[in-house]
Amino acid sequence: MPTDPKTRRNWLQILGAGGAASLAGCAGGGNDQNNDDPYQDTNETTDSATDESTESGDDTTGATKAKPATVALSTDPTAGVWQVYGGVTPYYTNILEPLIWVTNDMKLKPWLAKDWTATDETTWEFTLRDDVTFHNGEPLTADAVVFSVEEVLKEWSWAPGWLHIKPEGVKKLDDKTVEFTTTSPFPAFPGTIAHNMVAIQHPSRNREEGEVIGTGPFQVVDRKDKQYVKTEAYDDYWNGEVNLPELTFNVISDPNTRALSLKNNDVDIAYEPPKNKLDSLKKSEETDAITQLSPSTGTARLNMYKSPTDDVKLRKGLNYAVPQKLIVEEVLNGVGVPAKGPIAKSIYWSAHEKLPAYGPNMDKAKSLVEESNYDGETLKLFVSNQLTDGKLLAQVLQQRFDKAGVTVEIQVMEQSAFDDAVRNGNAHIEVTESGTNSGAADYLIYETFHSEGDMNERLHEKNDTGLYNPGKEVDSLIEKGFQTGDKNEKEEVYEQALQKVMDQAAVIPLYYSEYIVAKYNDVNDLDLRPIPEMVRWPGIEHS
Amino acid sequence: MLNFLVRRSATVLLVLVGVSILTFSLMYFTPGDPARTILRQQAGGRSPSDAAVQDFRQQHGLNEPIPVQYANWVWDVLHGDLRQSYYQETPVTELIWNRLPETLELAVAGMLVALAISIPTGVISAVHKGGTPDYVSQIAALLGVSMPNFWLGYLFIIVFSIHLGLFPVAGVGGIEHLVLPALTLGSGMAAIITRLVRSSMLEVLDEEYIRTARSKGLRERIVIYKHALRNALIPVVTIVGLQFGYLLNGAVIVEIVFQRPGLGDLLINAIFARDYPVVQGLVLLIAVIFVLTNFVVDLTYRYIDPRISFEGGNA
Repeated sequence: MPTDPKTRRNWLQILGAGGAASLAGCAGGGNDQNNDDPYQDTNETTDSATDESTESGDDTTGATKAKPATVALSTDPTAGVWQVYGGVTPYYTNILEPLIWVTNDMKLKPWLAKDWTATDETTWEFTLRDDVTFHNGEPLTADAVVFSVEEVLKEWSWAPGWLHIKPEGVKKLDDKTVEFTTTSPFPAFPGTIAHNMVAIQHPSRNREEGEVIGTGPFQVVDRKDKQYVKTEAYDDYWNGEVNLPELTFNVISDPNTRALSLKNNDVDIAYEPPKNKLDSLKKSEETDAITQLSPSTGTARLNMYKSPTDDVKLRKGLNYAVPQKLIVEEVLNGVGVPAKGPIAKSIYWSAHEKLPAYGPNMDKAKSLVEESNYDGETLKLFVSNQLTDGKLLAQVLQQRFDKAGVTVEIQVMEQSAFDDAVRNGNAHIEVTESGTNSGAADYLIYETFHSEGDMNERLHEKNDTGLYNPGKEVDSLIEKGFQTGDKNEKEEVYEQALQKVMDQAAVIPLYYSEYIVAKYNDVNDLDLRPIPEMVRWPGIEHS
Repeated sequence: MLNFLVRRSATVLLVLVGVSILTFSLMYFTPGDPARTILRQQAGGRSPSDAAVQDFRQQHGLNEPIPVQYANWVWDVLHGDLRQSYYQETPVTELIWNRLPETLELAVAGMLVALAISIPTGVISAVHKGGTPDYVSQIAALLGVSMPNFWLGYLFIIVFSIHLGLFPVAGVGGIEHLVLPALTLGSGMAAIITRLVRSSMLEVLDEEYIRTARSKGLRERIVIYKHALRNALIPVVTIVGLQFGYLLNGAVIVEIVFQRPGLGDLLINAIFARDYPVVQGLVLLIAVIFVLTNFVVDLTYRYIDPRISFEGGNA
């Protein structure tokens, strides 16, 4: 795994912190209501989140002021439905901030809220920090939070269902306290709003003029739709000094052009250059590239309810045929980690260490295929054309399955058609990558493996089957994990559910995804996060 | 002339109705639910709830029978309303209007590059038929036709931006941002037009009146550029007209490689997102442009070659 030393150091820090945290968790007993939060070891904070500034990269004491920097993003920061935020995405840009932040080990950290408590099953009380000001100089108030959340609930039809909250469920208790009432018990509420989509903005921003007033380290100075967003440092930022005086986000959707723009120094940082450019970017005297593990996993899912993959022996045989390590090395150019389970190892309850790996073992694969009911028919493998390396992955799987005695036909489909076809149960094998950009990653396991999750729901309702749901027992384990506020219990029940998923060979784990960020050599201290959209820019050095 | 105009207008209308029905039905018969696709994109990749999907379908009239949806859309279009993008929630006319200048700029620049290369090359090639300049230009034309635009684009970036440092790699701004995309777009087209100019010139150079002109003692330059080229350009104008239509929407690869936000880029994203109003609005616009360009080309004939008449059905 070609990992930048910084990234490796980050992970060592995380492992260390994670170990310390779990010890603390064991010792703490978790009686405190706050500590019941599944993601959080402690949400008590002193008056400064900069305590964790080493981790967030905000500690720039003594650093010289850097030069302006330009970042090439693959997605347009002005496209989409961001009218609620003046037409600029809250991803990547650091203009707006949420109440809670997600740390590198996917736990929750106080951000604009310094504290939160569940006062009963459906009520949450959030206390705001005292030292936060908006870009217009006005202080952060409960009114602004109520306004922001109400706007989000009004703006996106899916938001009330996602947050389990209605507009009347947001209430100001006093100037620094906000109460949220969820429509049903929803322990994942803090994790769900720890998301840039639920960002806090000033109520007096002029939406029609495309104005955005946030609390982040950068404020918008100029923008041109589909081209760039120029920002400059907000000097009164609450969370430490902002090192970069100006930061511009350019959109360059083509990966090769992004890499070439970096090479030409038209941009200083480029997200996700093509994987095959990694070596040349690292070897070049001018550029470098960093990889970062993300909370996404590449898998081949096996339809448990379509003949012949309804035979567990065949599914196990297919599992034994897949060489994860080789796939990462050869197909992904070494960018990624061989997977053991369907949930990314960066999510604490993924049970990555505890799940048994199937292989690779071609002899076992062959004998299991022979023992199964498989009679030589051609299996349909669907892959979306949006999945980078998807076609190559599919071809490697096809070859391996062929060696094990199973014929597979690949169908590369355009994303929408692919979604439809898979959900209708037309595929035997679906090659896909899924992850989360939220602190509440529970929906990952729910959507794929619960009978009422998105993948199974349609067929389950129609004919009581589904696609990848191994049965009622797994349903109840997932429900238990979803509803518990206890971190250890969540880890335990999800592990049991994932064990059963793997026992039934409902999925072939392929790789835990890593993403690449390339940079010009005069840029240092890139502070990447597992969720790429949550990168932090203020501490970056650009000499 | 009036007859011609009436006939052409009727054809234009018929073509537009045909195109709109075809696009409308093609979009609806393409697998992939717009409600699910759009909501998933809006929610950062998370699957939407069935209730949200139903709301979306209801709100955008997607539950109506297709002919009713089509009729409603035509009604709106006749009232000058191309509707709102599902994904961006912005009026389609505004989206198109914002992107049109970039695309027009690129198309015109690409065409100028193509003409600047192809007309002299084609003429020289024809005049020196069988000679070295002819072979060189024919090989160049063959290369030009065979090289895909995206490949040529990267090649130009590597040579002119990375090695020579002359132009920025991507983006929109001054003329320096336009040079490489226009070269990329123009050189592929130049190849097609060069071959056409060459063959057309060869044909014309064999005509009686050229011999007459030469025998009158006119200078070769006058014979070629005044007498021959003018007539040789008739088929070229047709192709240029058609190609200009292609340039407007076929520039998508160039727009992606050089990150120029134009109509091609808008269309391709709308198709992937199943953003029906944007796709329908754009296809309609492209159809209008195609039909109008053809119309203008037909009109131009008359001025290039007065023998061509609009009457009598030979136009």
